Amino acid sequence: MRKTVQRYYPLFPVFAAYFILFLVGKNVSGMWQLVSTLLFYCALGQAFNIFLGMTGYVDFGYVAFMGVGTYGMAIAITRLAHVEALGVLIVAIGFAMALVMAALLSVAVGAVALRLRGAYFAIATIGVNEGFRFLIEGAKIWNGSDGMIFTAQLNQILGRETASALSTFWADVIVLIIAVLAAFVTLFYMKSKIGYALTALREDEDAAVVMGINVTKYKIIAFITSASFAGLVGATSWALKTPYVFPPEVFEIHYTIEAIIIVLLGGAGTLLGPVAGALIYGISKYYLSIFLPGFQLLIFAPIIIIIIILFPEGVIGMLKKSFRDSTLMRFII
Amino acid sequence: MLLEHLAGNLIQGLVLGAIYGMATMGLSLIFGVLKVVNVGHGAFIMVGAFITLWIFNALGLNPIFSIPIAFAVGLGLGLIFYSLAIRKLLKAPELSTLLATFAIGILLEELVKLIFGSEFRGYNWVVGKINLGVTVLPVAKLYACIGSIIIALLLYLWFNRTRAGSAVRSVVEDDEGARVCGVNVGGVYALSFAIGIGLTVASGVLVTMFIPVGINPYMGGGYTLKAFVIAVLGGLSSPYGAFFGGLIFGIVENGSYTLFALIPGVEPFALTRFLSFVMLLVILLIRPTGILKAK
Amino acid sequence: MKGRFSLIAISLVVILVFIFSSSLWAASKIVIGHPACLSGKYAKAGEQALGGVKACVDWINNVYGGVKIGGKKYLIKYKYYDCESKKESVTSLIGRLITVDKVNVVFAPYSSGLTLRGAPVAESHRMLYMDHGGANNKIFRQGFRYIVQTIGPASRYHEGTLDMIHKIDPAAKRVALAYEDSEFAKMVMEGAEAHAKKLGFNIVFKRTYPKGVTDLTPLLSAFKGAKPDFILGGGHFEDGQLFNRQMADLDINVKALSLIAAATLPAFYKALTSMAEGVMGPSHWEYGVKYSESRAKKAGLPWIGPTQDGFVALFKKAIGKNIIPDYHAAEAGAQVLAYVLAAKKANSLNSDKIRAALGDLKFMSFYGGWDIDDTGLQIGHSMVDVQWQMGKRVIVWPPEGQTGKLVYPMPTFAEKAKGKLAVPR
Repeated sequence: MRKTVQRYYPLFPVFAAYFILFLVGKNVSGMWQLVSTLLFYCALGQAFNIFLGMTGYVDFGYVAFMGVGTYGMAIAITRLAHVEALGVLIVAIGFAMALVMAALLSVAVGAVALRLRGAYFAIATIGVNEGFRFLIEGAKIWNGSDGMIFTAQLNQILGRETASALSTFWADVIVLIIAVLAAFVTLFYMKSKIGYALTALREDEDAAVVMGINVTKYKIIAFITSASFAGLVGATSWALKTPYVFPPEVFEIHYTIEAIIIVLLGGAGTLLGPVAGALIYGISKYYLSIFLPGFQLLIFAPIIIIIIILFPEGVIGMLKKSFRDSTLMRFII
Repeated sequence: MLLEHLAGNLIQGLVLGAIYGMATMGLSLIFGVLKVVNVGHGAFIMVGAFITLWIFNALGLNPIFSIPIAFAVGLGLGLIFYSLAIRKLLKAPELSTLLATFAIGILLEELVKLIFGSEFRGYNWVVGKINLGVTVLPVAKLYACIGSIIIALLLYLWFNRTRAGSAVRSVVEDDEGARVCGVNVGGVYALSFAIGIGLTVASGVLVTMFIPVGINPYMGGGYTLKAFVIAVLGGLSSPYGAFFGGLIFGIVENGSYTLFALIPGVEPFALTRFLSFVMLLVILLIRPTGILKAK
Repeated sequence: MKGRFSLIAISLVVILVFIFSSSLWAASKIVIGHPACLSGKYAKAGEQALGGVKACVDWINNVYGGVKIGGKKYLIKYKYYDCESKKESVTSLIGRLITVDKVNVVFAPYSSGLTLRGAPVAESHRMLYMDHGGANNKIFRQGFRYIVQTIGPASRYHEGTLDMIHKIDPAAKRVALAYEDSEFAKMVMEGAEAHAKKLGFNIVFKRTYPKGVTDLTPLLSAFKGAKPDFILGGGHFEDGQLFNRQMADLDINVKALSLIAAATLPAFYKALTSMAEGVMGPSHWEYGVKYSESRAKKAGLPWIGPTQDGFVALFKKAIGKNIIPDYHAAEAGAQVLAYVLAAKKANSLNSDKIRAALGDLKFMSFYGGWDIDDTGLQIGHSMVDVQWQMGKRVIVWPPEGQTGKLVYPMPTFAEKAKGKLAVPR
């Protein structure tokens, strides 16, 4: 019994961080929107880490799953808004759509791209993301490049007050819940057979195959899980919080890069890493944009390079190294 | 009418393809030797474009003169970034170099923006046009195409006829083996990275000869994505494979427009882009070594 | 190792101190908050908007003598951050502006997408939200209550051009439409298509091209075969330059070419030089328009703000560069004037009251007319059409605002390559 509880010790610092964030957002005036952005980055990092951190594969097309999730929610809202009996249920349907669509896309992508390794995998996933965007625009799927704007529909079915509260407060709370869930799933995977198999894979894929581990199966599990979370994040942060969807914006490769930066800053393959990375990245960018508007990227780029060279394992990775045997480490993985 | 249009597009595609190919050779060289994907590739093309623009406007020099200058600047940039960052990351996981090259790209973009501003610029080099009947080809584009072919040939000769070139080739084949045979692998890495960046910056000059407008700090992104597709077409680690990959890409991209335009109710232009990425996936699956190389 | 660790600890402390020390300053000032796009993809338009707002704030404070509300004189303070043209930053910065900086009004960032992203936050705080860079008509069909538009709606961009050709050359019936595949440009295209049909034009070609293209050759060759009399199109800055350049390369000659967004900017001519001669573009505002106090009087509208030259001088001072402002600057600046007039009229700084006053407001400034409908959509501002003639931008439409005559048909590209300029007869 004690052992089972101990297994979940590492969740404490993660949840503590979320709890403090939430309190700061609720109680310090002007902080809620910043907290919501930070939560978005946390959720993004956590979700991305499930695949990248555990397998070492770099999915450059990750944003496609967020995009598809956004479309899932948008389609549910625009197509079902006239069914007044639905009420808030429409959001639940939207999440279900987002989850299913992201999972389906990830199965399709996984079946193709997961046969590849290293740089080939990274390039293939970029191809999926860009190709999908051009398919939507070219074949005019889901309104093509006109996209969808659906504040009016949300207002219609939920009422103006509820809709407004949804997009400025509850959406952020849902992002927080997604981040918590993602942390939970990450730890669960780490401590189960999946985690051990994927660690073997990350160290040496060929050796893992020789050892008789069904590498493909576990890769696909991690890939689909990670993609499904991305779909949920998209449905919340980009559909509920941003009541429109335009293809170039939801397939923008920049977000994949941000996810990579967050995970790498904090430490790939650790539980606390994405949270630490998200906070460092989000907070420093926010204050750079306030105190040095227009120069944040110029300052940020060399900092990223320096961090990669000096702390290749990320902040949490480094912490783990320097406090290897202390009790503190029971809380950090 | 349809065939005429198709023929015109194919000719344009061939010319464009030569430039695309040239613009990808640097990426392939760097990947072949160092196994590093340069995600900041497009930013170096942008640097080449700004060099051309600056030389044309400030000194009034013909863009052709900018090619060696851009190459030299690229060599310098390559050596700087290699010794400051890339060298230290060669043993690190893939992710580190992907992110480092991306950050280098951003750094270049923001520096250029600081110096030149974010205006969209261009230059007007009037050298006439050739009317081919099915289409019209400006002479500047033709020069760019010929320039690409010459540079590709020079690279080929360097690879196959010089000692440095064969050292690079041996590292591409097997870097441990090369080390055992006494090749200075570290030196080859530095040289290849520098030449790869040099080629990329020089290709920026050719890109502006083809399209002398829209030059701005953020113009590189689209070229990075295209270069990835082309590099894969050519086998990813072979620079002259990339050149032929570029030719094929240009022809498919332009030629397919005419065919997609026959489908009612779609936007053919976006579908040509879709097709190129489908092509990428198919090739990665059935022949990751590229379409030209036999296994 | 130790040193590195303490360095991290110190920086964490510094960051935390920053977070919790929300700067408190009470003000007897009116504060305009703006998540401006100073970097990223909209940096160009963002810089212009910044200059335009600064110029008009300067004018209000130093020439107009501040704003008198309830017998008290207020000065305007302009508080802006850089949103990097990214939606995540837009909401967090608007949140900060409203709650920490306690601004009185929020100016939306550039583009329809970013404007939409910020709208729910502004609405939930019942904060007036003024849109100077989001032209999509659909923004105003969403039921937002606090959003007010100064930029003209996208659907009307090319109406003037069509009216002009309809009048000047009734024989020219064949029009080709080729726009960028983006929400904004497609809305312009729909508006142009509807208006063209209404005027009896024959649409011989209608296609889009994806955002970020680097080669338009296949599309341009395709409409060469359709033999249009004139072409309407464009989308953004870089594709507009490309469009014009490659038409020249392919030797496609038409009587008129009008491109949205790109063609009216000085950079367009600088990049294309003689190839841009005779090319047109619709604009919300252009240096040289003839809006003045006396014209406002004639139209029966109240006048406010600097004269056109006054605005240009203030703009140059504000951004510290010697460039002529473009319409992004003018519409952002006009927005300051609209706010000031409405606040005075409402005699209050309450967003609801000012929003109501804006609903009744009609005025003219250097930017032209300003009037909104019930949803907040701009209906009082008419666009002008600009043509490049001998390296200068000449306003050729509407007739009452002309600074010169239209050159029609424009010279062919072969003539332009030989140095022929667009000279009015």
